Amino acid sequence: MIVAERKTIPELIEILKGQKKVLVLGCGTCVTVCLAGGEREVSIISSALRIASRLAGFSLQIEELTIERQCDNVFIEKAAEAIERNDAVLSLGCGAGVQAIAERYPAKPVYAGLNTAFLGILEERAVWTEKCVACGACVLHEYGGICPITRCAKHMLNGPCGGSREDRCEVLPDRPCAWQLIYQRLKGIGQLDRLKQIKPPKNWNASIHGGLRVIVREDHRI
Amino acid sequence: MDNRPLKIYLFFCSNSFDTDTARRYCAAREGEELKAISLPCSGKVDLLYLIKAFETGADGVMVITCKQDACRYLEGNLRAARRVEAVDSLLEEIGLGRGRIKVIKPKEEVDVEQIIREVDNFRAKISGLACSNSQ
Repeated sequence: MIVAERKTIPELIEILKGQKKVLVLGCGTCVTVCLAGGEREVSIISSALRIASRLAGFSLQIEELTIERQCDNVFIEKAAEAIERNDAVLSLGCGAGVQAIAERYPAKPVYAGLNTAFLGILEERAVWTEKCVACGACVLHEYGGICPITRCAKHMLNGPCGGSREDRCEVLPDRPCAWQLIYQRLKGIGQLDRLKQIKPPKNWNASIHGGLRVIVREDHRI
Repeated sequence: MDNRPLKIYLFFCSNSFDTDTARRYCAAREGEELKAISLPCSGKVDLLYLIKAFETGADGVMVITCKQDACRYLEGNLRAARRVEAVDSLLEEIGLGRGRIKVIKPKEEVDVEQIIREVDNFRAKISGLACSNSQ
């Protein structure tokens, strides 16, 4: 899922300066699960902004709403009336959600209330870990299901680097060495031979470095 | 500082502080607006309740938990303390500063005197803070 965290209240106040009526719009999907932009966070951030704007000398009128998904027009439609009656929208969706709302309402200022951080999983209670950089050409099958691009601090496709201590990364000692994990995993599934193959440099055109990515499924377009 | 009465919210675990005692204590404080809110466990207190208290004009908020290792729901008092810490930090971001919210954790299972003493100290501290949270 997409993992995000909220911007600080002073940042949000700076962004919203000059606005009078603002809709704080939450999203019921990924950002709800990562406790950044769901219904509960909409209420908390709205309360915080009401107090902070009062202290800053301009009282924001804030309306709160959370829709099922901000990145889908079918659900955005449900926020239409609320968006219309406010001067601006503070979206607590991910970057895709913010842009989907902005595209749908070209005359309305739409601001991002969150910093979209990464694609990850809930590792343990209230701890999210990055697992995928969406490089566009997945190599997980070659590494026993552990991504060296995301989880190795040096993004090495031919590892290990030799700098790890015990099973810890030398760059980020509080994290496990991805190559140690890859070795253990490949050993466990009887595929250690994969480590004998030298991997060629990765073609990064499929990732963001190749420009805006679009996927078209012609069989679903009619 | 404006002339409005001091407004303080008292969230308390009903297993560590008696509701009648809390209400009597609040009613006896003339010239102050003290609200006592009973919870089945201090772990029920949520960031949202706490920040809403400040949004509605509270100058200070106290959360009375039960004694260390005495929570009958095991971790309720630990969770309450973490949430209070999070709200304290959020209040600093907002511009109200730290110290307007406090956890009161009794040393004994039921220690009404200690709780009242700490509540009194907190009220005195809050009344001394510049009151900038008027609505």
